[in-house]
Amino acid sequence: MKPTSRPHESASKHVTGESVFINDMPVSKLLSGKVVFSPHAHARILSIDLSAALEVARVKAILTAADIPGRNQMGSVINDEPCLAEREVTFIGQAVALIAAEDEKAAFAAASLIRIEYEPLEAILDLDTAMVKNTRIDTERVIERGDADAALKNAPYTVRGTLKTGAQEHWYLETQTSLAIPGEGKEMNLFASSQNPAETQAIVAQVLGIRKNEVEVEVKRMGGAFGGKETQGNHVAAWAALLANATRRPVKIHLFRDDDQVMTGKRHRFQSEYEIGFDETGRILAYKVDLNADAGSSADLSLAILSRAMLHAENAYHIPDIRIRGNAWKTNYPSNTAFRGFGGPQGIAVIENAIDRIARFLKKDSAEIRLLNFYREEKNNRTPYGQKVENNPLLMMYEKLLVTSGYTARRNEINAFNRDNEFFKKGLALTPVKFGISFTTAFLNQAGALVNIFTDGTVLVNHGGTEMGQGLHTKIAEIACVELGVSPERVKVNATNTSRVPNTSATAASSGSDLNGMAVKNAIDILKSRIVEVAVEWFTDQFRDDKTHKDNIVFEKDLLTDTANPGRSISFAEIIKIAYVKQVSLSATGFYKTPGISFDKETGKGTPFYYYAFGMAVSEVMIDTLTGMHTLIRTDILHDAGDSLIEGIDVGQIRGGFVQGLGWCTTEEMKWDSAGNQMTHSPDTYKIPTVNDIPEDFRVELLTGVPNPGTIRRSKAVGEPPFMLAFSVWLAIKDAISAVGEHETEPDFGLPATCEVILLSAGKLKKASE
Amino acid sequence: MHNTVRFVLDDKIVEIDFTKAGLKPSTTVLNYLRSNPLHKGVKEGCAEGDCGACTIVVAEPGNNGDLLYKALDSCLVFLPMIHGKQIITVENLAEKGKAGILLHPVQQMLVETNGTQCGYCTPGIAMSLFALFKNHSSPSREVIEETLTGNLCRCTGYQPLIEAAFEACKGGPDHFSRREKKVMTLLEGINSGRETLEILTESQSYYKPFTLPEALRLRKEKPGAVVISGSTDVALRQTKKRELLPVILDISGIEEMKSFTETDRDLVFGAALTLEQVKEISDKRIPALNKILRVFGSLQIRNIATLGGNIGSASPIGDTLPLLFALKANIKVCSSGSERIIPVEEFITGYRKTDVRDDELITEVIVPKTPDGVILESYKVSKRRNLDISTVSAGFRLKTRDGIIEEIALAFGGMAATPKRALKTEQFLEGKKWTRGTVQDAMKIVHDEFSPLSDARAGAEFRKTVAANLVLKFYSETT
Repeated sequence: MKPTSRPHESASKHVTGESVFINDMPVSKLLSGKVVFSPHAHARILSIDLSAALEVARVKAILTAADIPGRNQMGSVINDEPCLAEREVTFIGQAVALIAAEDEKAAFAAASLIRIEYEPLEAILDLDTAMVKNTRIDTERVIERGDADAALKNAPYTVRGTLKTGAQEHWYLETQTSLAIPGEGKEMNLFASSQNPAETQAIVAQVLGIRKNEVEVEVKRMGGAFGGKETQGNHVAAWAALLANATRRPVKIHLFRDDDQVMTGKRHRFQSEYEIGFDETGRILAYKVDLNADAGSSADLSLAILSRAMLHAENAYHIPDIRIRGNAWKTNYPSNTAFRGFGGPQGIAVIENAIDRIARFLKKDSAEIRLLNFYREEKNNRTPYGQKVENNPLLMMYEKLLVTSGYTARRNEINAFNRDNEFFKKGLALTPVKFGISFTTAFLNQAGALVNIFTDGTVLVNHGGTEMGQGLHTKIAEIACVELGVSPERVKVNATNTSRVPNTSATAASSGSDLNGMAVKNAIDILKSRIVEVAVEWFTDQFRDDKTHKDNIVFEKDLLTDTANPGRSISFAEIIKIAYVKQVSLSATGFYKTPGISFDKETGKGTPFYYYAFGMAVSEVMIDTLTGMHTLIRTDILHDAGDSLIEGIDVGQIRGGFVQGLGWCTTEEMKWDSAGNQMTHSPDTYKIPTVNDIPEDFRVELLTGVPNPGTIRRSKAVGEPPFMLAFSVWLAIKDAISAVGEHETEPDFGLPATCEVILLSAGKLKKASE
Repeated sequence: MHNTVRFVLDDKIVEIDFTKAGLKPSTTVLNYLRSNPLHKGVKEGCAEGDCGACTIVVAEPGNNGDLLYKALDSCLVFLPMIHGKQIITVENLAEKGKAGILLHPVQQMLVETNGTQCGYCTPGIAMSLFALFKNHSSPSREVIEETLTGNLCRCTGYQPLIEAAFEACKGGPDHFSRREKKVMTLLEGINSGRETLEILTESQSYYKPFTLPEALRLRKEKPGAVVISGSTDVALRQTKKRELLPVILDISGIEEMKSFTETDRDLVFGAALTLEQVKEISDKRIPALNKILRVFGSLQIRNIATLGGNIGSASPIGDTLPLLFALKANIKVCSSGSERIIPVEEFITGYRKTDVRDDELITEVIVPKTPDGVILESYKVSKRRNLDISTVSAGFRLKTRDGIIEEIALAFGGMAATPKRALKTEQFLEGKKWTRGTVQDAMKIVHDEFSPLSDARAGAEFRKTVAANLVLKFYSETT
């Protein structure tokens, strides 16, 4: 892939270290904030003794639930998450007390002197127990079409099983950070590492008992987020604000890595029961799946995540009779939260695994089974919830990828290799993703913007989206440049600020550029129509005729040109000066809401998505059956980003998303001990991919010639979908293990496929085949 | 000079007087840099050397009158360790000329390949690539991966970083080359004295001697001192466990302990040779040692961690230890006035315990040359291939004559409280034919010979199975 001509807007600042993250900001009179958290998964708080801690020199405040001036609540959807634990703690890592001190050392000294007496209570630490104890959040949800039970009964073949998918730690490089600076009166200003500044503002106002118009939240950039700062960023902000409010001094909380890993929510673990019915050709006739999510100690976004898991349970396949049931269960872990894919990966993993089982059962290539069952253009094009899959490139992508990856020839080579090698086995898999784009909570699909043009002809774009590295601001700048026809030097995208653009949605659901790009375009369209009027007037004066018509004026190359009358043009900077003198407003707000989407949770029917994004990958692995270690030999990805806004940025999302998915599928194993303590609470034991773990041969191509109607510059969202392409690696590993038993026995495991899982599974198959 | 540490930063000599600075001597270079408004580009991602966001480059005079550039994790390095060296951070890379800022080739290529997204890991990556640039003109993919192993990035998927590395290293001399002479002169000024650096503050005493006799004198005088060289293990007691280390003896400045000599019989490694140096030395001489060091930590770790430190920390896994068992290595320890040579197996006395006495230092690791016909091999099994602690490690030695096993050593790490040989299995194998059948019988014995733990890395059954399998792997690779 050739590098794009427009690199990330912060690239040159990142490489020189000039980029400012919250922890780098110089602040005078700053206090260091520290959170004291629960060491018990479930316990009653009997007493809290702060007396010794308060004696520590340089300690300025220690707060507990009793000191919260507003509501002790920071739940994002359901109010079930106290800001500081009051009578009971429900997970290890739950905040109980807050300390502000002149320096970190004093804060630590004070923390070690706080005496909290707990009475441990029984904790729920696995999904099976949660189900027995019936800790369900809300009610069971169902999406259903036809009669899955009857169709399964009539199907020539069925397979059934349980699939467990693991938790995942976000491992953003910048841990949770917030800086709260008190203003006049009750005002509170925050610099937050948050994907959702409007919600951060709301929660800070709520815990402080003040109004939203007294809280300002600014987000310049995050050092990675991946969903981990959609709600979790609110918490640190609320704690910092409480301490700043109590001391009326600036307070920063920057979590240590281990504390961050212990305290914050993860990707939801799922445990899913499934049964799939099919015929001898591999056509899927019926599918039943029960998706069970480990929500952790509170609801957080679990119901929305569960909903997305259910809406992706069939992935790219048309299944006539289907029943998808979803339940989220409370346990005594940190409340699990948003993470790239938002439930989609957990739903898709089950069907992709089931399809591989069908292939092994029928002794067919799994890619053929996938092809047979893809959604089609003319028929078999409705999802279980009733939405039509339109502009579907699945067949085209399949045909193209099969050729570019050399799939068939490599399949034969791998078979030969596996025949000739006892200890090393290779595997190959092709997996697709169809990912619905839009917030599944329909009203969230809105965005605002504020575009200001200054009299020197420069443009400052404000919008509701946040920058976490994904390149949103770069895309927005590109959109503004193209729409205004001006060169990049004229346009700057501002830090996200709740005072400049209010009531925004989280930058999530891959929707950042779709929503905010359109809102920015809307503002620019308003400004352009004002400027065009000035231009018409100016040309009319200048040429003393009325030949210039507003419809003929285009914005291009830093000029406004009358395309109907050659020779008539004026520079952008010049016309802005004129507009100002003519008393024309050069500031406009823009707004966008996604049209035509709705979903009824009760009936499980509707059109929850504006469109779908598609991707497909082929991966080849080699496993060492004696150690369980694997090598990722090659991955070919073909991905649909519509008319890509900026190719380099989109390819970056595809590679990064894939590698993050690869981690979840292979080495990123989270373990807890029997008391609920995380055993993998630092990078020492929690292993995200390194440079050595990516495919040795890594080919990423964007699908071209598939413009997406109705979106900004006919593009498609790209943040989340590539994550799920990593299933090609997971299933290639299964394919390789299956070769140990000459494809006679099903390798029965979920994910991650660690070396331990691979080795023990290969060992079992060896025994079975002996 | 007492209580003072001097190094070159931003082209100037910086002098820290600990009696005035209000810093404790074991302040990490990361924390020191981040306290400076001009060096906030250096980031903390984990404070344990596992992410590389804090990577800086340290330049020090080499043997050929030039500067040697090495990347290291500044979160693991105490200020006195960089005494007499130049430290280079991300803020120093670009050239600030009259025409404005000219990005260094590694920076320029990171921009052009979309090698940066959120930017938090980028300063560390730029520094690792800068060290690569200074040391390689056309690096292989393998060398690039080795360079970047210690830099975690959660955004880019690494591919553009590899491309940036390939492209950037094509560049010629940079502005650092042009200023090298000036820096050398500054460093010579600092390094002219060989007097022990003694930094005594209220809470901590820090001693950095420059000669072995002086180190041994201090060792005897301060028996409670924590001995460090690379401090990659000890630093975590401070950064993660927040322990105060009241007395530190830093032996990283002793040149006598950094030599390598080859005699007719032995390969003699100075205990303070870094693992990266040992890796290079062993490339042709002991391929099995080179192999295990390639997957030992990261380049940033290997650039400061020492062979003596790895042995002295006596970790149950230890990575090099099982192989040193198989190599029949001897450890030389010295005190003022006496020295002892101890077989490595006897040297490790328990969980993180060694035979070193309070007044002794490990000075040499003596590896007898491998006689003809002896096969040596090392293995490391870990959840993640690189920059991970072994779940199981192994060092094997085999000599057969006419297919009969004459000599066998099967040493494992991660299977017990110390690295340990599978003695029962060895006994079973000696004198038998080296065949698949024998090996398969031996595997059952290995499997039952150990009672390893289940922990965050893996379960006991996995460890037992892998240990047994490694013998089969060894067999399959030697026949």
